[in-house]
Amino acid sequence: METADLTHHISRRFNEDLEKVRNQVLQMGGFVEQQLHKAITALIEGDSRLGESVATDDYKVNGMEVSIDEECSRILAIRAPAAGDLRVIVAIIKTITDLERIGDEGEKIGYIASRLATMERPADKYREVKHLGRQVAQMVHDALDAFARMDSQAAVRTAQEDKMVDEEYESIQRQCITFMMEDPRTIRRALEIMWIVRALERIGDHAKNICEYVIYMVHGKDIRHTSLEDVAKQIEAAHALSRR
Amino acid sequence: MAAMWTFALARLAGILLLGLCLGLLIGPVWLWILAAACLYLAWQLLTLYRLDRWLRMRSQMDPPDLGGIWGDIVAQVVRLHRRKQFHKQRLVQLFRELRRSTAALPDGVIILSAQREIVWFNRQAARLLGLRRPIDVGLRIDNLIRSPEFVLYLHGDDFAMPLVIRPPVQLDLYLALQVVPYGGGQSLLLVRDVTRQMRLESMRKDFVANASHELRTPLTVISGYLDTLADDSSIDPAWFGPIKDMRAQAKRMNAIIADLLELSRLESTDGEAPRDAIDVPSMLERLHRDALANADRPRQVLLDLESTDGLFGSAHELESAFTNLLVNGMKYTPAEGTVRMRWWVDEEGAYFSVIDSGIGIPAEHIPRLTERFYRVDAGRSRGEGGSGLGLAIVKHALQRHGGWLDVQSTEGKGSIFTCHFPPQRIWKEAVRAAIGA
Repeated sequence: METADLTHHISRRFNEDLEKVRNQVLQMGGFVEQQLHKAITALIEGDSRLGESVATDDYKVNGMEVSIDEECSRILAIRAPAAGDLRVIVAIIKTITDLERIGDEGEKIGYIASRLATMERPADKYREVKHLGRQVAQMVHDALDAFARMDSQAAVRTAQEDKMVDEEYESIQRQCITFMMEDPRTIRRALEIMWIVRALERIGDHAKNICEYVIYMVHGKDIRHTSLEDVAKQIEAAHALSRR
Repeated sequence: MAAMWTFALARLAGILLLGLCLGLLIGPVWLWILAAACLYLAWQLLTLYRLDRWLRMRSQMDPPDLGGIWGDIVAQVVRLHRRKQFHKQRLVQLFRELRRSTAALPDGVIILSAQREIVWFNRQAARLLGLRRPIDVGLRIDNLIRSPEFVLYLHGDDFAMPLVIRPPVQLDLYLALQVVPYGGGQSLLLVRDVTRQMRLESMRKDFVANASHELRTPLTVISGYLDTLADDSSIDPAWFGPIKDMRAQAKRMNAIIADLLELSRLESTDGEAPRDAIDVPSMLERLHRDALANADRPRQVLLDLESTDGLFGSAHELESAFTNLLVNGMKYTPAEGTVRMRWWVDEEGAYFSVIDSGIGIPAEHIPRLTERFYRVDAGRSRGEGGSGLGLAIVKHALQRHGGWLDVQSTEGKGSIFTCHFPPQRIWKEAVRAAIGA
């Protein structure tokens, strides 16, 4: 099956331009991961300066998106890649958009965290949010690793984690509403937390998108509107075939 | 060996002779000689065929039992082959030993190509960094370790110190990474788990800060009472001396605690000092005036302002650093000596120097001067007072401004302490004048 050949070709014999752009995307990913980590730390430790620094540094993410976009346009125009290489470029262009959005959500979290730092901290010190934050950060990290390794099985596994993120998001939302009903004085803080948790949930969605692009890159399948179970089955079949 | 060949030639001669004899007896001589020669040739070809077949299927056939020279060739081939096997086994053993020893290394080791691609890594590296075999071989290392600080470090050329990073998803893990270039553009990446050390460091810093804070309160109480006692005229005059002593000691303890807190603050606020605009010449003039008013100063205390530029930084930290150096200079200079402060700027940066004609520092102590509580001569400086933290404070304050401290000294002649500030921190006079500051 052509999939295995393509994977081999893509991961071992990229021409230099493609490899350089892939590397740039991953650097952008690394910076975004760091922003997310700083934003969540700012919230947990009540560090308003850290939160603000995340917000002020977000322009760098936008700059990276623009420059990688230009590089991709250049490659498309000059080299007119085909087949697997073309899929890689297309996937890159989509991936940087999602990374830039993750950066924006991280900026929001940082900004809200710096506001919350001045307010009274809750008894559980944002334990649930911290847990969700860690889950989401892991998703982003795994999605980028799958992109680096062109590993579609890892991409499927990571994409499936988004379901848990959504469930946890809803659970925290319910909790916040309960607090607000019980004690109206907590409304302001609970609302801020709901904004943060919503931002985290959206970051999870963007990470899932990146996984979908990885699968598209490797297998040429557009799975954006397919159920994940079907996709997982198809990829398993493809891998079994290539192993024989 | 020569005997073998002689024998072979003799055998050939014998066969031809036989043919000759038979030819002389029966039919044409030439026919029989030709027949004998053909027989000999056929026999050699057969032997050659057997040799060739054996060489091709060596693993499945025993060596053929050939006579003479062919037999000798077979024996040699067998010998060669056996030697080769022996060497191969030794290499495999060596390689296995190497693999086992690198797997046992407590640190992670990764070999990187000139393009920074992963060539090989040991088990510990896989464990610490989440690398996977064989899929990660050939990937660029900065595609997998994406921390921006690591990428900068990797693409720079200063590998003297390891870099400590916290991988973004494992919150409590600290890794020290160090790149060691070696021949052919390749390099080693060493990975070590330093979580425990970082935690100990953190505990130490917390302890120092907490202890210092806790000590302040009791000390304030004691000082307060001592002050009251000093002004109390109903006390036996014999106590005035001891009370004065106690107040001096309490003041000294306060100074030590203040220094400890300052150092602790500097150490824990990582990174860079803020960028407030500071009028360094005015600050130095003020320090100069204060020094001149001090009764314990050397005869000459001078100030050379060779530039009117200022600095971007923290006024408090810079004043602390400059004061420390000036006080040190004055302390270790005899009464007839000279202490000179100098402030100048060139294209490499800005400089503040304290030059004294004091007792100097022996060369072997100079590298350790900025260590906390380090004393060149325990006797002399403790007598003079001071906490032993002054230079450590100077060093940390300078680091936060992107600068460093340079110390030169000759025993018996004097010392020069120079603070070097990078050009990015200079507040140019022209700019200052333009905004009318």
